[in-house]
Amino acid sequence: MPMILKTMIKEEWRLHTNLFGGLMFAFFPLLIGIGTFVASIFLPYLETIMTTRQMLQLAHYLFVIFGMSIGAFGLFGREVMNRRFGQASLIAYSSRSLPVSERTIFFNFFIKDIIYYIILWILPITMGFVFATPFISINSILALLACGTLIFSFLIGLSIVFFLSTLYAHSSKLLIILLVALASIVVFLIRYLTIDITTLLPSYSLFYQPSLRKLLLSLSLIMIPSILSLIFLKVDYPERKKQYENSLPLLSKKLDFSPHAYYIAKDFLDLKRSEGGLGKIIFSFLFPIALTWVFLYIFLDLIPTISVIMIFSIFLGIVSSSIYNMLTEFDTFNQYMFLPVNVSTVIKSKIISFMLISIVSLIILIFAAVGTNQLVYFIPALCSFITISLYSLSMTIYFTGLHPTLLMYNAKIFFQYILTVAPLLFVFTIVSIINPFALLVSPVLLLVSVYVVRQSYKKWNIWQPLSF
Amino acid sequence: MKNVIEVNNLTKNFGDLKAVNNVSLSIEEGELFGLLGPNGSGKTTMIKMMTGQIKPTEGGARILGVDVLKDPTRVRELVGIIPEQENPPSFLTSEEYLHFVGKIRKLDNIESRCDKWFRLLDFENQRKVLCKDLSRGTRQKLMFSQAFIHDPRIAFIDEPLINLDPIIQRTVKDYLEDFIGDGGTIFFSTHVLEIAEEICTRIGVIDKGRLLHDGPIQELKDTKQHLEDFFLKLIKEEG
Repeated sequence: MPMILKTMIKEEWRLHTNLFGGLMFAFFPLLIGIGTFVASIFLPYLETIMTTRQMLQLAHYLFVIFGMSIGAFGLFGREVMNRRFGQASLIAYSSRSLPVSERTIFFNFFIKDIIYYIILWILPITMGFVFATPFISINSILALLACGTLIFSFLIGLSIVFFLSTLYAHSSKLLIILLVALASIVVFLIRYLTIDITTLLPSYSLFYQPSLRKLLLSLSLIMIPSILSLIFLKVDYPERKKQYENSLPLLSKKLDFSPHAYYIAKDFLDLKRSEGGLGKIIFSFLFPIALTWVFLYIFLDLIPTISVIMIFSIFLGIVSSSIYNMLTEFDTFNQYMFLPVNVSTVIKSKIISFMLISIVSLIILIFAAVGTNQLVYFIPALCSFITISLYSLSMTIYFTGLHPTLLMYNAKIFFQYILTVAPLLFVFTIVSIINPFALLVSPVLLLVSVYVVRQSYKKWNIWQPLSF
Repeated sequence: MKNVIEVNNLTKNFGDLKAVNNVSLSIEEGELFGLLGPNGSGKTTMIKMMTGQIKPTEGGARILGVDVLKDPTRVRELVGIIPEQENPPSFLTSEEYLHFVGKIRKLDNIESRCDKWFRLLDFENQRKVLCKDLSRGTRQKLMFSQAFIHDPRIAFIDEPLINLDPIIQRTVKDYLEDFIGDGGTIFFSTHVLEIAEEICTRIGVIDKGRLLHDGPIQELKDTKQHLEDFFLKLIKEEG
């Protein structure tokens, strides 16, 4: 293993273990594995609404979406290397003082991140499933094959978005042309050639009918976009401007409905001016949501008893809560420590910024309801979306404060988060299937969220900030 | 003169390490107190505890009569702080950052206050530049400006002159002298002894978390001792 990659892996390990101990970090993948194992045991109960084949198909596409949600490396350039760890001095910055090119450093960082995601998430999920197979009458060999093809699915999603985001970094027009062309081809294939789009994913086809051709096709879909992206990667993202007029007063004035208007204005300036600009929201948030919508629409259309819009609202709620992670990536509390500011003030402002950005999710939900002609379920779906998104947000804030992207990798914290959020998701999903209108009462849970957020203010105000 | 800073038995442990060990001191209004010490001696930890940025393991401090343990935010409202590591937010311009600090501090006439500092420290041409693109020296100027933008009565400044060119260093030293002349108080942490010798009215020496010396700089000058010799001797005896 190259020295830089090895050192980067060590560095990432130490960053996490210094914060909450090696044991808690090491337990994280174990927890994911156990969680998947338990969930897999219950898979046979789902067979009344979905066949095993459909479930595995769905799993492959979900892994593609997961890969896509973290694959926007091309967009962030150098920034991707410090978005999780703020100003910590990492090897990622070595090119500034050592005779190593920034491209080499980035390549190693990219590989390191893939290794970490596979170890922390992908392998535990797939192994949890494999270990459960003896109990759910699925062939273990097939399950092991699924392990490989699911990893391929994750890498395909990741490399495709890496490529698209690199393209976007060069020319947004070129990206739009490519996306329109791809969408047109897909529509043409579905309409005129009666091709089942859900079976087009090579990694999934490889799982069902293994062949060398499909293996090579899968590997090509991973390697070619990744290599092209690394060749054309813009490590130093060109800035449109080096100088900016003072926008803070004007923006704060527009947001003066909130006592924290200038903090919110800062959040929006951070999002807009950081590398990749609003493309971050497109690639990390809107793009996976749009794809999820397409896949849910295709899959759940086969199951008339389930309302697509209801399931989508649950997914949208949980994904929307991740906007908070994005908002906390640009400033650490260290920037405020020497000012008369409490942690709770910054959290309050992030909540309002979160709510403003969530309007985008709301618009998506409206379009989805209109597009599927399921307006009858719009109000329950809206209740479900708002409740899940704010409830998950309150739990994220309670458990991780202003450091969700770091502290969620503490097994204990992650377990507590899952324990408080997963049952709610399960109940909402079941109620959505049985009687969507019962979710009209779900906003009652917002009282719990308000209580949790208030407790969070107390908890984080007395907390000693993280330091590296 | 009344005491505006009172520190009692301040102690901070990081695991087995005693970063600050039972330090007590009082600083009067109008003093420029220089806390000197080698790297890692506990200077920054002292400032962080005295301004409520971190909690002491034992002991406490009162700044302008406010108990820092009970109301750390009020203490930071009253004082100005230049942290050791300058880290203004990356994606605000220097003008926006000063504006942001002004809003946090609920100041009026923010624009004229900003103008004053851009002129005084001669970085007018950098006001529209993002903080991440500023040179270290300009960042230091910005951090200095944010610490004094609200005309505090006390300032805690941690290595404020490092990275500044000699011309701006002179401007800053003159400003600090005027500041204490007008009744302000400075708690100044540094390991650059020449600067301390030039501007401080009183010095404290800290090493391994213990306060080894506390007295007026004039005492040294009266005995014709150089601060450097005195400091090195003290650290050697302790070491």
